[in-house]
Amino acid sequence: MDYFEPKTVSEALSLLAKYGDKAKVIAGGTDVLVDMKYKEEPGCLINIKRIPGMDKIQENGASLGIGPLVTIRAIETSKLIRERLPVLWESCHQFASLQIRNTATIGGNICRASPSGETLAPLLVLEAKAKLAFSDGEKLEGFNSLFVGPGRTTLGSTGLLTEIQIPYAPQASRSAYLKHAVRGAMDIAMVGVAVLVTPDAMHSKLNDVRIGLAAVAPTPIRAQKAEALLRGQPLTAALVNEAAAVAASESSPISDQRSSAEYRGWIVEALTRQGLEQSWKAATGKEVA
Amino acid sequence: MNLAINLTVNGKSVSATAEPSTSLLDFLRDTLNYKGTKLCCNTGECGACTIIFDGKPINSCVALAADANGAEITTIEGLADGDKLHPVQQAFIDTGAVQCGYCTPGYIMSVKVLLDRTTKPTAEDIEEAVSGNICRCTGYTKILDAINLAADRMAGGS
Repeated sequence: MDYFEPKTVSEALSLLAKYGDKAKVIAGGTDVLVDMKYKEEPGCLINIKRIPGMDKIQENGASLGIGPLVTIRAIETSKLIRERLPVLWESCHQFASLQIRNTATIGGNICRASPSGETLAPLLVLEAKAKLAFSDGEKLEGFNSLFVGPGRTTLGSTGLLTEIQIPYAPQASRSAYLKHAVRGAMDIAMVGVAVLVTPDAMHSKLNDVRIGLAAVAPTPIRAQKAEALLRGQPLTAALVNEAAAVAASESSPISDQRSSAEYRGWIVEALTRQGLEQSWKAATGKEVA
Repeated sequence: MNLAINLTVNGKSVSATAEPSTSLLDFLRDTLNYKGTKLCCNTGECGACTIIFDGKPINSCVALAADANGAEITTIEGLADGDKLHPVQQAFIDTGAVQCGYCTPGYIMSVKVLLDRTTKPTAEDIEEAVSGNICRCTGYTKILDAINLAADRMAGGS
């Protein structure tokens, strides 16, 4: 196996261009090392850990830039993220174990593109963008189009994620990240649901609502039909129930050792309902009537 | 292809070479001969291989040895002061928190980091600190006793 520790993004990109599909990018390594041990070694390992400047959390006006090498623990211990992006903070707080959070990076969680990736539903509802570098230039890709299948993103084998840009949600908005798992720590979500609601000034209806679903489709998805049903409406218990059922119908879960597809559908419905109720109450101080 | 890796283990500067695919755990155990750090699940799930890397607990089985170049590492061998055990080690013995013992070095490293930060940990602090360490023998009660005893002793300066 060839091995490189590029010192710049362009050096990493030329290695990717040279080795193509044989190359594997490694950052924290918590997933890549397991694959190398139990599946196969890549022809070439490109360790991007030593590229300077990619481990920063920076505020740029109304958005936050997170470098791909920022660890999950650094996000969890960032006061700024806890205050301004609580839905992302919550997912990092529930992420694996302390040991893994100290090593795993947000870039790795994104590029791994697991349908159940812990940070992905929150990033979807935050309408984050990924800055992707290719040898012929940079590109900003929305998270709604970044994932193309399990383990696959539009980076393909030639691109490198260089930043995650997250616009702050409106001040009046509130969010929830709900994960259904058996043990809690070290457990992969059977279902993950992120909800963000923005009420109007009168707290009478929803100006905006975003629902992200993880582990219930080939990629993390937004429940767009459920969102459309809710947007602009007063939030009643009947509407919440209807939207939760629609969100479940938008998911296309599989059955595996963690749960059956049918069960996952029920959980999507339950967590969507709970997420809407919880974030509506946090935003307005009122129960869903 | 062999990489030269220079690091500090338990306060001592060490240099050795490793294949680039080598995990930090294998490097510590098989190249540097620190056998106290245990290989168990080898997938980053059980915490038996926990070491302290630049002040933070990590699972050494899912870290690259290459990333330890320039790092400061503490393993279980680095805790005792001569014949005097570290208060966390002593507390695990005194409370009977060790049965088969395989998870113990990993637990002790996680607890050391916690108690270096605070000797008055809340139940939540303790849960967070050791939620990545799995014990199949004790049922955890004795381990919690050990953590609380070690915290008391460290707070008391004994």
